[in-house]
Amino acid sequence: MTSLQNKVTELFENGTINLLIGFKEAIHKLPVPCFIDNVSQVEQLIFTPSCKGNLSVYLHKTEVKQAKKVGILANTATLRAIVQLVSENQLGDIEKTVITLNTNGELVVFATMDELEAYVQANFPELSEEDKKLLDQLNAMSRTERWQYWTEQFSACVKCYACRAVCPMCYCSSCTVEGNQPQWIKVSSETTGNLEWHTMRAMHLGGRCINCGECGRICPVGIPVHMLTVKMNQDIEAEFGAKTGFSVKNGYALNSFKPGDKEQFIK
Amino acid sequence: MEIKNIKSTNIPAFFDQMIKSGKVVIAPVLKKSGKVFFEAVQSYDQVSTDYIQTGFSAKSVVFPKVEELFSFKKDDEGIEITNNLHTIPETVVWGLRPCDASAFNYLTEFFLKENPDTYFTARKEKTTLIAISCAKADNACFCTSVELNPGSTSGSDILLTAMGESVYIELITEKGKAAVETAASLFTPGEEKSKEEFLAKVTSVFSMDEVKVRIKTAYDSAEWKHASMGCFGCGACAFACPTCTCFDIQDEGTQDSGKRLRCWDACGFGLFTKHTSGHNPRTNQTERRRQRLMHKFKYSVENLGIVSCVGCGRCIRNCPAHLNIFENILSVTK
Amino acid sequence: MDFEPKIVAFVCNWCTYAGADLAGTSRTKYATNVSIIRFPCTGRIDFMLLMKAFENGADGIIVSGCHPNDCHYTSGNFHARRRWIVFRSLLDFMGFDTDRITFSWVSAAEGTKWAGLVDETTEKIREKGPFTEFKKLDYSILEKIENDVVTE
Repeated sequence: MTSLQNKVTELFENGTINLLIGFKEAIHKLPVPCFIDNVSQVEQLIFTPSCKGNLSVYLHKTEVKQAKKVGILANTATLRAIVQLVSENQLGDIEKTVITLNTNGELVVFATMDELEAYVQANFPELSEEDKKLLDQLNAMSRTERWQYWTEQFSACVKCYACRAVCPMCYCSSCTVEGNQPQWIKVSSETTGNLEWHTMRAMHLGGRCINCGECGRICPVGIPVHMLTVKMNQDIEAEFGAKTGFSVKNGYALNSFKPGDKEQFIK
Repeated sequence: MEIKNIKSTNIPAFFDQMIKSGKVVIAPVLKKSGKVFFEAVQSYDQVSTDYIQTGFSAKSVVFPKVEELFSFKKDDEGIEITNNLHTIPETVVWGLRPCDASAFNYLTEFFLKENPDTYFTARKEKTTLIAISCAKADNACFCTSVELNPGSTSGSDILLTAMGESVYIELITEKGKAAVETAASLFTPGEEKSKEEFLAKVTSVFSMDEVKVRIKTAYDSAEWKHASMGCFGCGACAFACPTCTCFDIQDEGTQDSGKRLRCWDACGFGLFTKHTSGHNPRTNQTERRRQRLMHKFKYSVENLGIVSCVGCGRCIRNCPAHLNIFENILSVTK
Repeated sequence: MDFEPKIVAFVCNWCTYAGADLAGTSRTKYATNVSIIRFPCTGRIDFMLLMKAFENGADGIIVSGCHPNDCHYTSGNFHARRRWIVFRSLLDFMGFDTDRITFSWVSAAEGTKWAGLVDETTEKIREKGPFTEFKKLDYSILEKIENDVVTE
């Protein structure tokens, strides 16, 4: 048994957890989420750098909330998501045991939220090289080129809402797109409605998104949707000094204000 | 079955001839995202030849993501209702895989069996399917498990198999024969031979006969929970699937003008079964995913006599959680 | 037919709407291209409303409310300002022509400022021309707009 499996067995046996959200290897060799509720299943657990998924999204599931004592395997993005979710009071009753691998590949189990928060702050990541490159490319474009770029991307969107489904911050029990009185976003997929959907999604996530990039990674048509919130977070940090997923005392930058907020465009 | 051969260097000429003859040709195109999608093209230069499977299936040719059923306009003189049926062009789908082509058998059964669908019929009649057999496969492919193979002719009008310098052409239907007529001089008559050595090897992961029997009692299997708890509830699998046919009718517009649309829908969405009262008979994602898988392997067999999974592997490649349909079918029919 | 811009103004009840009222009662002449929509507060002017205005054929938009520190509800305009800052930047990042949205503070006493703002915005949008860049994304919108022009 690996050290991870030993640790998890121990957590089950001393009653710290009664459900573990982790990864196992699927038949086609990719890591797939698994939900372990007893020691006999521990052997399938894996946790490698290829486990890129953000499991914190499952913390909103009724089945998970009911389990109360929940262990979760967390990569760095998942840790930030947990910090952000705690700051938004979303993990109420769940007694979380968060397990991560540090940069040396050693297992770390966080006993308290304070420890987790301190770890996150000490290991706060920069934007990935790939995203930086794309952001620079987009910023260097003229406005009309950007319009061309994004409308072409959005025209391919089929509204499968996978970007919403994988997002740990998209936890509303009913989403704006599901309302039809009024119908804010058309059900049919066409460029204008798709553009509105992605604008709305970004606006509702700006200042809350933890830059895990899952939405862009999993988009079946390959739209880099995560760039919208990456950009918004950059603005929010620059303008209002707020950093997402950094502290459990994070306020939400867009429901607070300072009388001295600066802008140049309001006449 | 009529067999012909064509030199692989003549393929672009054949392809461009079809475009010149006024057909809309839909073919795999490599997009900026690095993924390959079906798209209308103007010449063979745009066509991607290096792909295992396109991101989405070719079903959108006969069942578009948004189909306008009709539009209306109201003015002082009355109400005018129009539809676009007459604007559907002669279309050729180039380069779909044999699994995709066989999905058209299911689509045809589904849309035509009881109440023939006008829009599907109109599109299907004008569509010619030119499939290319697979020389490569990946570990998401499982066509051999659902009784197909990388060289199946089922559903295609023409099947092309590259054999070194030349391409082996099986003309399966009259439509297929008519398509090669547009450039008859490029083809030479050939005789039937085995394609085996030019096809990808796809290992069968389960026996369809066994699955068909065992899935009958799988509804209450405890394995569904393990198989589907990870499902996020998005529509990526259903929208990419060549045989998912759920749709949602939407009216858009104002009281003076508007249109009725048929949009893709997915049984994985929580909203799919939600009642107006707020009650949802499929309460959780496990039940929703069970519905999707049971439909493919059990319900469609009962209703139409066809297993509606063709083993293309798109749901596996597109799944944000990497859920694997054949692994799950194996586990619930154990 | 010459192009007449369609401008939609989203204004707060307490300052800008009263300012527009003052412009009216003072018989100040200004461009008739503007349709005013009154809101309780700028804090209520959701970005989706602006998107919907464009979708329904607006060529330009004015968003206006009480000056900072003058909000009837104390802080509605401060909250709105933060959201406008990021919304405008997001739109620009998507290549959306942000010059088509004019943000302003107009108090209940500034009837003249309001009239000038509408005139200026109308001229700016007239120069820019119809917002076809956006409208052509969806054929049905374009058709709807053309019908509007004919019926007028």
